[in-house]
Amino acid sequence: MDLGLTEAQEILKTAAADFVRQEYDKDTLIALENTPTGITLELFRQAADLGWLGILIPESYGGTDRSLTDTAVLFEELGRGPVLGPHFSSSVLGTLVVLLGGTEAQKQELLTGVAQGTTVLSVAVTEPQYGWLPDTVHMPASRQGDHYILNGAKLFVHDAQAATHLLCAARTALPGSDPGSGITFFVVEANSPGIEIRTLPGWMSQMDEIRFDNARVPAANVLGDTPGNGWDILEAASMGAIPILCAYQVGSCQAVVDMSVAYSRTRHQFSQPIGRFQRVQDHIIGAVNHLDAARWTTYEALWKLDSGRDARSSVHLAKAVTSEASLKVCAGGHEVHAGVGVMREYGLTLHTQRSRTLYHFLGDARYHRRRLADALGW
Amino acid sequence: MDFEVTYTPEQETFRAEVRGWLSENIPADLTQPVDPADLTLEQYHKLRELGRRLGAKGWLYPTYPKAYGGGDLAVDFVIILEEELDRYGLHLPPYYDSGGRLGGASIFVWGTEAQKQHFLPPIFRGEWRTWQLLSEPNAGSDLAGVQTRAVRDGDSYVVNGQKTYIGSLYGCEMMWTIVVTDPEAPRHHNLGWLMIPYDLPGIDVRPMELLTAGGEGGASPGLKHTIFFDNLRVPAFNLVGGENNGWQVATTHLELEHGGGGIVRRNRIVDQFLEYCTTTKHNGVTLSHDPNVREDMVDIYIRSEINRLFGLRTYWLSHAHQPRSYEGPQGSYYRKVTALEMAETMLRALGPYAMTNDPQWGPLQGLLEHYQRAAVVGLHPGGTTDIQKVVMSRRIGIGRTAQEQAGRLR
Ligand SMILES: Cc1cc2nc3c(=O)[nH]c(=O)nc-3n(C[C@H](O)[C@H](O)[C@H](O)COP(=O)(O)OP(=O)(O)OC[C@H]3O[C@@H](n4cnc5c(N)ncnc54)[C@H](O)[C@@H]3O)c2cc1C
Ligand SMILES: Cc1cc2nc3c(=O)[nH]c(=O)nc-3n(C[C@H](O)[C@H](O)[C@H](O)COP(=O)(O)OP(=O)(O)OC[C@H]3O[C@@H](n4cnc5c(N)ncnc54)[C@H](O)[C@@H]3O)c2cc1C
Repeated sequence: MDLGLTEAQEILKTAAADFVRQEYDKDTLIALENTPTGITLELFRQAADLGWLGILIPESYGGTDRSLTDTAVLFEELGRGPVLGPHFSSSVLGTLVVLLGGTEAQKQELLTGVAQGTTVLSVAVTEPQYGWLPDTVHMPASRQGDHYILNGAKLFVHDAQAATHLLCAARTALPGSDPGSGITFFVVEANSPGIEIRTLPGWMSQMDEIRFDNARVPAANVLGDTPGNGWDILEAASMGAIPILCAYQVGSCQAVVDMSVAYSRTRHQFSQPIGRFQRVQDHIIGAVNHLDAARWTTYEALWKLDSGRDARSSVHLAKAVTSEASLKVCAGGHEVHAGVGVMREYGLTLHTQRSRTLYHFLGDARYHRRRLADALGW
Repeated sequence: MDFEVTYTPEQETFRAEVRGWLSENIPADLTQPVDPADLTLEQYHKLRELGRRLGAKGWLYPTYPKAYGGGDLAVDFVIILEEELDRYGLHLPPYYDSGGRLGGASIFVWGTEAQKQHFLPPIFRGEWRTWQLLSEPNAGSDLAGVQTRAVRDGDSYVVNGQKTYIGSLYGCEMMWTIVVTDPEAPRHHNLGWLMIPYDLPGIDVRPMELLTAGGEGGASPGLKHTIFFDNLRVPAFNLVGGENNGWQVATTHLELEHGGGGIVRRNRIVDQFLEYCTTTKHNGVTLSHDPNVREDMVDIYIRSEINRLFGLRTYWLSHAHQPRSYEGPQGSYYRKVTALEMAETMLRALGPYAMTNDPQWGPLQGLLEHYQRAAVVGLHPGGTTDIQKVVMSRRIGIGRTAQEQAGRLR
């Protein structure tokens, strides 16, 4: 047994931590929070140069082909920022969908671009009847000659504004007895006619609505050779992607705990550091317990995946625990910081926003608790 | 016991009078934004005008004596006023004002007759809206540790210092504050409680950018500020309660701010959320018929009922002049933590819709999106949850035989 990081992972972690610290200071992140893409081209290019955009992509497509655990180490550091933008959407979820579902030509074309930062993917699944079960995917794709016509809306899609290509799930057939059948992923150029992307307002960032108005997609842009197996692709891709999303949230939780501990030492009330008050200690200890629960469920799931074990129950466990942990850790952080924590310039509210906007992404805690029971064969 | 307020014929006549008066005096185009930060100046002026009209009738701060601009009304009449205003989504006062409820109460208890005559009528008639200036960068929970200094110079105090998380949109007429009047005196015996006109020279008001401002209960301020005093000269007459007695004066409004006055109105956001769930379909199923959402709704309902009963209990204690102990801070503590828990439960129940105020996708015109932010921010105003527990413990006498007394309200 060895629960430590490998030397290569330590190097990656340090490099990522330094990058986030230097390039993504608080002011930069706050300025990016309410932009449509959450990134600057310059910062995204640097991430490409560091090999991070192609971290899951095989070398034959220009990537660095690291393990899921390695990728999680990187995303934990990004989560500390929390660095916004399409890193997860493009280089993890989108990449896995293409890797698992795409034809050789599609992998070559899309993944090479993803690794270089010239192609950005966003996975568009959820619709106005939001949910992560296949029966919530209704958008029809109807065949007309050598094209498909897409009509309808996708809602709460992460990072569509930043994307060059949408991986859009639509129905090419009605569901049969298996509600997952008949869903097909289309590779859709984000700027093609009939597509309108709008950033949603509110306490969220880089969450979009996409409207399709007779958008024509060449039949060759069906992801993979055969239509209808999109849901299986998404399920398989999610298995790898979810723990990396969790690792990002672990990083965010770690940042909130670190901020809180630091503040408990430097903030004085009643002529003493507030950390001397047991009530303040309780807030932080509660947060640390949630953080550690999230961390270890996440990394065990990653280990199972990387070592080829059956990881299903662990993946659901990790997401169920981490979604909730994130809410609770931020609540603890706010209790400790009181007034200063709700000042936008302080940076804590970025994490609080993330804890809520990532809560439902790829399934909320309740969804994964149910899937966990199924996976355990109960 | 009787949990129901029963009304005498005299009170029902009063209700008819109030209802008629409100229908004539509440402007038809009065609108309240979902996010209090969006209150327009025009709407703000309408609310102030309504306040002045209510004030002229003695209905703005109705329990206070007519001699000071109040209405001399008994509790049951006030409940009627609140109920009738609630039909318009309004309450007393109809805009953010720390004056009558908190500051006014302190002047009423601690002021000299001359000070009461001078300060109370304009506050109770709605001519002055006031802000409370307690917190400082280095004195939040440790309110007694404020550093803003007031030095006596002839007929004035010269004030220097900084206050933070202050006020609301669109200014005020008067501010009340805690300052150090004797830096040599022991803690709690070194403070003064001072009324400061807003338009004096030497006051610099700068807006703060918060996740949202509010959560204090009552009308939401919409905006908070940092305020700097630079050799501000305030008439010595404005020191209420005498030199070095400021902490005593503060216990009155702190008691109220900790919920000591109680609350009778329902939580509108909870009511609207529950109604939304019973009337909205998701994936073809009414939300309230989804077993998960149903469970969440019950959870929220139970919490809100407990909040309501705590508020009602304290209201009764305070208005029936019963002995009070930990009940005020308990209500405040419970309201704060349940607000956050309810917001999280709404997020679970509704999904990402709860985070957007998009005209098409945001439930209840974005009310729930704002509630997500307000529930986090609302943990802190009027004392953190921890401070509420500190005060409760002292009142209950946990670990000590001498129980601390609740602050004086009358
Ligand atoms: C939206 C908003 C509106 C506000 N409006 C006003 C206003 O109108 N006027 C005004 O004067 N102020 C206002 N405030 C300020 C508010 O009263 C303070 O934020 C609050 O009292 C906490 O002070 P602080 O933020 O300095 O936190 P701190 O006091 O620094 O607290 C930090 C942490 O230490 C804990 N702590 C401190 N002392 C103790 C103790 N003895 N025991 C246990 N734990 C302790 C706290 O609970 C908290 O967890 C407002 C604040 C907000 C956020
Ligand atoms: C916004 C606000 C509202 C308030 N409202 C009221 C009110 O309504 N009525 C009222 O009487 N007072 C009120 N207070 C005052 C509040 O009770 C005191 O600030 C607080 O209880 C500390 O009391 P003190 O100033 O007397 O401090 P001190 O008596 O000097 O005590 C120091 C602090 O150390 C804390 N402490 C000591 N040991 C521990 C420990 N091991 N763990 C945790 N904490 C410890 C104590 O709890 C105490 O808070 C209010 C304060 C604020 C900021």
